[in-house]
Amino acid sequence: MGVEASLQQAAARLAELLTGGIAALSDPTGRDLVFEAEVSLRLLERRPAPADVWAVDGGQCVVADARCVQLLVTRAARVRYAAGERVLEDEGELRAHLLGVGEDRASLAALGLAIDAHTSVDANLLRDRWEWDAVVRSIEEAQPGALVLVDGDLVPDWRIPSTFMGELLERSAERNVTVAGVTKHSSLSRGGAPLVGQLELEAAVQFGPRAMWWAPVARTRSDFGAGGLQVVVARLDPDARFAFRVDLPVSADPEEVLGAMSAVSADAAFPGYPYPLSVADQLAACPPWLRQELWLELDELFHRAGVPVEVRERAFTDRHKLMERA
Amino acid sequence: MDGTSRGRLFGKNVLEAVFRASPDEDLFLGELLVGVDEATGRRYLFRVVDVTYGSEHREPGWAERVAGTLLSDDARGEAGMHPLHDQALRTYRVASCRCLGYLTPDGTEFRKPKSLPTQFSRVISPEPADFAFLRTKMGDLPIGRLRSGETVVDFEVGIPGSSLATHVGVFATTGMGKSNLMKVLASGVMQRGGRYGLLLVDPHGEYRTSLAKHPWAGERLRTYAARRLPNTSALRVSLAELAVDDLRTAYEWSRPQEEALFELERHYGATDLRWLLDFAQVDDLAGFREIDLNGRVALNTLQVVHRRARRIVELPCVSADANVSVGGAVIRDLQDGKVVLIDVSGLGSTEEVLVASFLARKVLDEWSSAYLEQPEIHERLPVVAIALEEAQRVLSRNRDRESNVFPRVAREGRKFKVGLCAVTQQPKLLDDELLSQFNTFFVLGLADEKDRNILRSSSKQDISALGPEIQTLMPGECLVANLEAPFAVPAKVHLYEAVVRSTDPPPARMEAAPANVSALVD
Repeated sequence: MGVEASLQQAAARLAELLTGGIAALSDPTGRDLVFEAEVSLRLLERRPAPADVWAVDGGQCVVADARCVQLLVTRAARVRYAAGERVLEDEGELRAHLLGVGEDRASLAALGLAIDAHTSVDANLLRDRWEWDAVVRSIEEAQPGALVLVDGDLVPDWRIPSTFMGELLERSAERNVTVAGVTKHSSLSRGGAPLVGQLELEAAVQFGPRAMWWAPVARTRSDFGAGGLQVVVARLDPDARFAFRVDLPVSADPEEVLGAMSAVSADAAFPGYPYPLSVADQLAACPPWLRQELWLELDELFHRAGVPVEVRERAFTDRHKLMERA
Repeated sequence: MDGTSRGRLFGKNVLEAVFRASPDEDLFLGELLVGVDEATGRRYLFRVVDVTYGSEHREPGWAERVAGTLLSDDARGEAGMHPLHDQALRTYRVASCRCLGYLTPDGTEFRKPKSLPTQFSRVISPEPADFAFLRTKMGDLPIGRLRSGETVVDFEVGIPGSSLATHVGVFATTGMGKSNLMKVLASGVMQRGGRYGLLLVDPHGEYRTSLAKHPWAGERLRTYAARRLPNTSALRVSLAELAVDDLRTAYEWSRPQEEALFELERHYGATDLRWLLDFAQVDDLAGFREIDLNGRVALNTLQVVHRRARRIVELPCVSADANVSVGGAVIRDLQDGKVVLIDVSGLGSTEEVLVASFLARKVLDEWSSAYLEQPEIHERLPVVAIALEEAQRVLSRNRDRESNVFPRVAREGRKFKVGLCAVTQQPKLLDDELLSQFNTFFVLGLADEKDRNILRSSSKQDISALGPEIQTLMPGECLVANLEAPFAVPAKVHLYEAVVRSTDPPPARMEAAPANVSALVD
């Protein structure tokens, strides 16, 4: 079978999934979700912005890659807006981790979590761990009534104990701080088709093109801790290009929290996406120049440790470049 | 102007600089700024040649998208619905500059740029001391104040009067301040008390009244007018002093008409134009052609020359009597270092050129004779500039260079201390080879790109990057490019009326004490 035939077959199947009208909801990454029987769209009203808004995002990059062993760095950035003014801008501490050839264990131990020593370790776990740490610190430092926005869903990496999240939600409830996770590109699906895109089309028909709306989609299982989470899809600005998945504690009033989130999602550059999160995203990013700088620092440390240049070069040269791929 | 940071340098090369400034930093084309190199102690002088937007966002189309969102809000009457948060942190301005040179750490010397300032150096507004090096370059004919963008700096800008001999070009479209500049220049010449002379041919009669108000006019201004005007001397030009070359300069002649002039000159056997009087009185042109010229000139050609001859001899300012000519008086005035205003309002454009050609030739002959035959007298003669409006009429590419006195002045005048001051709205029409003889340019606002291009290639300073600045000059703003200053100096030309108000009259001459009559009686 040539590529044309296989492509035709794949396209036909995709077309079926996208337009098949199957109603079953699912999320391949959401092991703990219990879906609503039916998704109903509701209009959303903008509410006043909270006086204290935090946003947390994590970033990572591979600094040296010898394939068998990698050195990567992670960081978790935080930003805080008080009465609309940016009052905190924390890029987050860069943390170096080794992965591979048995070094994962040390990295795992450094996470300080009660995780089984044989659990596999990867960049997602390392980044997620410190991102959640930043969320915890933000909850502690936030004013009562604050909103702490997190990039991604509120379901942490599967290796992080569920008790961790339960405790986090309990603490946030104690401090009267609302935690909300915003997922830009969700894997939620309905009958195999992307759910968020479907809801965007349906809402445009039902409410018109400039409506703000939300729809409850799922809840976490009750054993998640602190009552668990509710998962909704929401369009947070009349001119938003996209709606997003938003995770909230079950105890939160979705209309109130989403309305408040909408108030911080009116930035002219990104209507519909919480602006503080876009700032945290930029702060957490590890751009090429940072990778380059870290590599130079690492190289200097290798030099001081007496690692010959040819050893360094042979270990870390990207051999893909030999192929001159376009 | 203080030491507040206006930006930080981040890129480009030895001759150009690019710096980042905050989004609300008000940067102007032509603004002069200083790059402070802390490492070397040098202060680099920059001129802003362009300002653009910058943004921290790297996504393609980010800015357009934001503008689109804001525009949609406007269209719905919901301006402000989507604010751009943290605009000061997300956007900025990028200024492109020409590096004009640098001040040595001791601040005494200004050198052409040959090295890069340290990257990320602070860019600040200049301080008065940053321009101190220019003071000796500004000469003794002040024209205005230094301009940095739209800010006028308390620093006098001018040109050396000696540079009048190396020709001055004044280029501007209508309404940009040519006349005011010429008046300010004339004011400077008057106040130099005889060091320089200026022959100013005024076709529109726009200088007479205002120049006469100058406190120094009584001593240093002499006005000749082609028509009867108060406080002027009559402009009378004798045919005995005019030459065929003046005719050739003033009028467009076809080849056959040139031949006819030659035949007439030969027929009358004169080197001056007194024969025009006889020729103008010829009634029977056909007979004259047959008998006197042996039919060598076509009748219709002869008719054209005849018509022009009659027009010239009938001009009130033209006389056949050699004794009434003002040529000698004008020369004496210029030798005295005066501003000689020739008000030719009322004359046609060609007659105006005829008069200007005659006077220019007279000045050149007088100064060159002195140079060749009486060097010690020439030494004492003032530098003289011959100022002519609409100079493209006599300095264009297709004008006959052999007979035309103005290209001769442009090519040879400097040796004799005679310069041209060419005023034109269309420098593109000037002969570029002649234009290259001009060492001083006053460039005021010029809208036409072709005009700017020709100046770029002829200027004695690099003004290639200053196109947008020249295009956006406001009336009274100009660039002065000459050999003295190390770069084209931006200036705001003084308002002539203000110059008149602020100028003290010349010091009174010592007079002999009156006789004490009563003492004599006693």
